[in-house]
Amino acid sequence: MPDIASLEGDSAYDVTWPWSRGEELVPGLTCVFRVRNEARNLPWVLPPIFSAVDHVLVVDNQSDDGTADVARKVAEQCGAEDRLTVLDYPHPVARAGGDHLATPATSVRSLTHFYNWCFSHVRTTYSMKWDGDMVLTPEGAGILRDLAWQLQSTRAIVAMPRHPLTVVDESTGWLDLSLRFLEPWVYPMGPEFTFVKAFDWELREFPAGVERIVLPEGLCVEVKWLDADEYAHWRRDGVDFTNTRLYRKLREFEVDEAIRNGDPTTVQGLVKVTAPEGVHIIDHVSRDWLWRQPRPLVRHSLPAALRERVKA
Amino acid sequence: MSDRRVVYVVGSGRSGTSTMAGTLQTLGLHVPQPEVVADATNPKGFGEPQWVVDLHDELLRRSNVQVSDGRPRAWLDAGTLSGDQGVRERVAAWLEEQFAAAAREGVPELVIKDPRASWFLGLWRACAERCDATSSYVTMLRPVTEVVGSKQKYYGADQGAITRTAAWVNMMLGTERATRGEQRAFVRYGDLLADWTQPVFALGEAFDLTGVKTAMAVDIAAVHKFIDPSLRRVTLTWDDIPVPARLRELADETWQVLDGLAEPGGDTAESRETCDQLRAAYAEQYGEAEAFAQSTVLARSRAAARHARRDAEQAAAGSRSAADRVPHAVRAMVPAAARHRLRKAMGRERPSGPAQGQGQGPA
Repeated sequence: MPDIASLEGDSAYDVTWPWSRGEELVPGLTCVFRVRNEARNLPWVLPPIFSAVDHVLVVDNQSDDGTADVARKVAEQCGAEDRLTVLDYPHPVARAGGDHLATPATSVRSLTHFYNWCFSHVRTTYSMKWDGDMVLTPEGAGILRDLAWQLQSTRAIVAMPRHPLTVVDESTGWLDLSLRFLEPWVYPMGPEFTFVKAFDWELREFPAGVERIVLPEGLCVEVKWLDADEYAHWRRDGVDFTNTRLYRKLREFEVDEAIRNGDPTTVQGLVKVTAPEGVHIIDHVSRDWLWRQPRPLVRHSLPAALRERVKA
Repeated sequence: MSDRRVVYVVGSGRSGTSTMAGTLQTLGLHVPQPEVVADATNPKGFGEPQWVVDLHDELLRRSNVQVSDGRPRAWLDAGTLSGDQGVRERVAAWLEEQFAAAAREGVPELVIKDPRASWFLGLWRACAERCDATSSYVTMLRPVTEVVGSKQKYYGADQGAITRTAAWVNMMLGTERATRGEQRAFVRYGDLLADWTQPVFALGEAFDLTGVKTAMAVDIAAVHKFIDPSLRRVTLTWDDIPVPARLRELADETWQVLDGLAEPGGDTAESRETCDQLRAAYAEQYGEAEAFAQSTVLARSRAAARHARRDAEQAAAGSRSAADRVPHAVRAMVPAAARHRLRKAMGRERPSGPAQGQGQGPA
């Protein structure tokens, strides 16, 4: 009897948690990627993750760019083949926002079910979701590597700020330092830490009073490729982005548009970074640039549209 | 590839860490100055940079961890502070200065030893990387009974043998975990005293230390003079140390696996897995002991809170004037004119004005 039977009756994609199977979780940290067409980013994203966590689970959701093969190849290059599990999730998953809202939580199409299914394959005491475009700095990897064993003495959630980096070309990027984009990433595994449905996307639950550790800024960049037009699929008409739940997205639109229009200097908090010759901008920012910058890196400010709304 | 090297000498205090640091220093590695001054507990000197000791003391205070801490979560508390950017900047700037000083003397190779260092290895590793230096770790090993006995003898009996044994297990297993995957070596104190040339030569090769590899006869002779086997003054067994059988078993198993790590080729996946199992077993045992003694912990917390309240009240009372401490009803019995004269005599006259109405303010 599964913990969560899929609405469509596809038993291969029912969710059964390890504690229901009577499987004991081993001390450690598993990083879970739910990815679709991240072949371009994984060579930057996976190596620091392999150096930081005990196990990596890549769940490929209908990629057509060879994402799974790239993951396997990078694991091999890192000598981490035995620490990688690749799974396939063949169902189309509802997009965040209205599509998600209209999808029942136990449907194989729901982000909620998708997340629960992915995390039900974790066999360590801690898990972290991670996006296929987030690059840890070496110092971030070191801190996570230490946390992977130090956390075993407690049950805590770990939040980490991230800094969006829009890659214009190999040597130029714009780093958004206006907001901390602070989100919890690392959670203990257990029945109190599973996913439920929220309005726009899924939400990982946690018990009241759980210990929360906040890591310093400057440990992670979120890569956005200007040439990929990543926001093309986002529906904007009729969506109230001034809602605080969504203002991170609004900020991303603002930044993307400003860079596309050639006037990024008008957006407060955007910093242009140029890599030395022969060094890719992602490597430069993550390995050499971030740790040298004075703190605080981020000085909080609201996106222009929100500021106007507050004034009004 | 940079030629900068930093060797961290770690492990429990009283395990020969000073002897190892002093040996590497004698062979040409730089111990940042000034050092902690030698005393009766360590007559040949500690090989500990004072700056490092002061920094670690500050960080331990901030993270509420003590030098010998038996709590498994002490690693998380200290580790969380290790990521602080301000601390990283200070340590990296200090390391830069030390590499410059070492380079002026000969080669940019440092040896940093402090029994507190194990708590902050993530910090040191990251800061060495900022300085483009290669880090390596020597963990000194000495049988737990000797360490506990030596600490009881030289540091006093304020911590009992059980507490010290638990802290040793936590420190050694945590140090093993924290140095895993890094360039590291485990050296028995006994081996260092018996024939220091073998383990130290091996370190020079494994860590590519110019100071050791190019040591001259005069340096080697100086190490022979420095190492004094008679310093191993405490040799005890479990018969001398009253520790419950369960903890003793865990400590023995910990010693056995660490002892195996010191063998050539002994740092195997199997022994690391044993360390993981022992760490989990220790955490479980510690958790049970903590739960067992919960009533004592709560009683102490209540007593501490009561003391803190009393201290705060006394401090507040001390800041009030003698007149304020006289009850209002008694003060009101003193005629107004007399009160005025008294205030004048005490230099506490009230300003005149409309606010001085009847019944306003304290009498």
